[in-house]
Amino acid sequence: MSNETLNGRRDFLKATTSGVIAGMLPVSLVRLAGAAESDPDFTFAYISDSHIQHIKGNEFVRNWDRGLIRAVAEANLLEPKPDFVVFGGDLAQLGTKAELDHGAEILAGLNYKTRVVMGEHDYYLDLGEYWSDLYGDHYYSWDHKGVHFITLNSILTYDDWTFDRWESPERRMNEMAGLDNPNGSPFMVGDKQLKWLKKDLSKVSRDTPVVVFSHSPLQKIYKGWNFWTEEADDVQAMLKPFKKVNVIYGHVHQIQYNQIDKIAFTSVMSTAWPWPYPESYAQAESHLPILTVPMNRADPFNERDATGWQFMNMHTGRVDLEFNLYNNSNRTIAFNRDKGHPEDVTFSDAKTRTPAQSHF
Amino acid sequence: MKKVAVIAVSLVLAGPVVADEFTKDDTERWMEQFELVAAEGRRLWTSPEIGTNGVACAQCHPNAANTHPETYPKFQKQLGRVTQLWEMINWCLRNPLEGDELAADDPKMVAMLAYVHKERRGVKLDPGKH
Amino acid sequence: MNKLLIAACLSIVAGTVAAQAPLGLPEVPVPANNPQTPEKIALGSLLFHDVQFSATGDVACATCHVAEKVFTDSPLSVSEGIEKKTGTRNAPTVVNAAYNKTQFWDGRSPDLEDQARHPFLNPVEMALPNHEPILEIIRGDDGYLKMFRDAFGVRAKDITIDHVTKAIAAFERTQISGNSPFDRWYFGGEQDAMSAAAVRGFAVFLGNGRCISCHAIEQDFALFTDHQFHNIGVGINDIQDRVPELAHAFQVAKNAGADVDVTVLTDPDTSHLGRFAVDDQLSSMGAFKTSTLRNIAVTAPYMHDGSIETLREVVEHYNNGGVTPADAAVNAFLSGGIKPLNLTEQEIDDLVVFMESLTSPQFEPASGESVATATGSGE
Repeated sequence: MSNETLNGRRDFLKATTSGVIAGMLPVSLVRLAGAAESDPDFTFAYISDSHIQHIKGNEFVRNWDRGLIRAVAEANLLEPKPDFVVFGGDLAQLGTKAELDHGAEILAGLNYKTRVVMGEHDYYLDLGEYWSDLYGDHYYSWDHKGVHFITLNSILTYDDWTFDRWESPERRMNEMAGLDNPNGSPFMVGDKQLKWLKKDLSKVSRDTPVVVFSHSPLQKIYKGWNFWTEEADDVQAMLKPFKKVNVIYGHVHQIQYNQIDKIAFTSVMSTAWPWPYPESYAQAESHLPILTVPMNRADPFNERDATGWQFMNMHTGRVDLEFNLYNNSNRTIAFNRDKGHPEDVTFSDAKTRTPAQSHF
Repeated sequence: MKKVAVIAVSLVLAGPVVADEFTKDDTERWMEQFELVAAEGRRLWTSPEIGTNGVACAQCHPNAANTHPETYPKFQKQLGRVTQLWEMINWCLRNPLEGDELAADDPKMVAMLAYVHKERRGVKLDPGKH
Repeated sequence: MNKLLIAACLSIVAGTVAAQAPLGLPEVPVPANNPQTPEKIALGSLLFHDVQFSATGDVACATCHVAEKVFTDSPLSVSEGIEKKTGTRNAPTVVNAAYNKTQFWDGRSPDLEDQARHPFLNPVEMALPNHEPILEIIRGDDGYLKMFRDAFGVRAKDITIDHVTKAIAAFERTQISGNSPFDRWYFGGEQDAMSAAAVRGFAVFLGNGRCISCHAIEQDFALFTDHQFHNIGVGINDIQDRVPELAHAFQVAKNAGADVDVTVLTDPDTSHLGRFAVDDQLSSMGAFKTSTLRNIAVTAPYMHDGSIETLREVVEHYNNGGVTPADAAVNAFLSGGIKPLNLTEQEIDDLVVFMESLTSPQFEPASGESVATATGSGE
């Protein structure tokens, strides 16, 4: 970083009001010109897909452990402090008590209130029973500073696959654990949650910003790897009437963002490992979201390449998301009000793309 | 008996067997043998037993995606020189899977290479592409 | 004055000789706005060695970057400036620094020209209030004036600190060294150039040691650095419980206009924040630039704070997974590539022998070669 950039940055920091140390939060907290007084003004952090994996005894896969430990330590350094942290699902790899406990222990190091989303790797061993002991309800909603938040359990699947197909819970978990397993079954929210969602949304005014946390994408992206939610159309239809809706999803371990009507979709990254984009699988067709700029794969062999965590800024009533990546340039996906969809603030122009963004 | 009769018939029809010719049966059989090996490669690819910590290749490379066999040999930073695909498979075996390397002609290595290439069939060669 | 002229002549000769890169190294990158000329190089050498450019008149670049010590001040852990004031960081070698994409342990300077500006003003180095005293001395010295005219075509009143640092950088770009036993064996095809132990050590370097992940080599040259910044658990381990307060205090000071160059060299705890102090990125916490390994055996002690004395102890630190001793707490910001290596004693020994084979002939202590030429350019 040249001295010129350093000085420029110093001036930027001085310009922020109320002496807030914006240095830790690269995303500006300065209110946008024209932002309504009623627009919310807070941040929250998001850590996801840690996949804590048990080897034996007291040994866990070190690589995944370190990714989560680092996210917690870094998130604790945020200034100004986020209002809360969300964990986006797949805390464990095979849903065992050892894994959930080990992951929960690391997450407990966060200095903020934590909300947790269910992932399939947490669920399919005991159908979320131990997870509930740790974290409570599988789906729920709450309001915070004028924003309505909903957490869905979107990794359920057909009853016969869940209850009748496999001879043991371990077998069922192993089958669901393979992303590319042809014996898998598509994710869904299920009728019960659809009814609950409809009822929950009926109490929310159309002008209230809505943010939905889900593990599966609530879109139909690529069925082969379960980048998929069966009732995506139904859920989207329920969200459609609201003026500002944001869906944040995990599971995909890569940067994706999309806009369908008034719904902005953004994925979050994993702390453990990145996944290839479905289009890189030569034998299958996939329907990617309008993916403008892929994540960087600067050094695919680096343990922390394309992994990290993120924090969200709600100051426009829309989610502006900053990817905090351990081994790559940070990325900011902000909602572009003129264009009406999320956009990478640095790399939207094709001329700015780096080789690492088309590297694999 | 029937089999012998069939062979006898084909001998009669085809004339004497020429030293370097092989038949459609041969090529189909040999493709099946490839499929057997590739299937074993798929099994190893998704198996937690190939390393020592339970991590499987498929965890990061579902359907062997992002292995890019069509680009080898190419420069790989991890070995500091232009390398071949099997050497990088060994790198993964040693590092994220914390296991042991395999010889280039080890049946397990051959099986995994067969699987990786099968999943990437149809993509044109682009050696050196980084 | 005569002594200076003689030195200048020697420098000119050495400067023009060092045109082609030695075995194992690529071409030296030279910026378009500062091409190499014999006059600039000779001038740069003089400036580099001139102790007048300090508050007490007895500290020069060469004080901490001693030619006979591969341009370091080995065996000092951290350098000593005016009045023997200690800083917080170990003096990096100038040799092959021309290949670095950033300068300083935390990369806070983008090039050699910028790097040279800072030690003059640092309170624990030369401690000048600004660059003016340097320019005054130059303007009052006929010998210097002639050399600046020859090098830059510039008259006394037009000489700026940029001319000074360009000349110093030009001199530094002649300090390159390759042609080590490793280079002769790996790139030169000389089968006997490395011992059997060193060859085994190279296999560890590439394999179980995982060194090559960051100490990169390429098909036809080896810089032994990826130019990136990594937290390997040195320094940061000692402050890991206090990182939140230290980071916060640092940011407050930086916000208020504190100079990073001063802060990191005057407070050891702040120094351990590493690259974070420069780019404010959480992912840079406690991270430092990958050093080259060339001539590493003769540039002890090691790490940004000179806290590790021997190469064997360095390898043990990595073998432990970025902690010393082995049961110490691992810091949360540790680079993903650092993990326990489970090397055998033999592998550790061999790895050290390999690193010893990276010393260029002119820096081999037992070579008996005279090191009279201050420029000491590589073959």
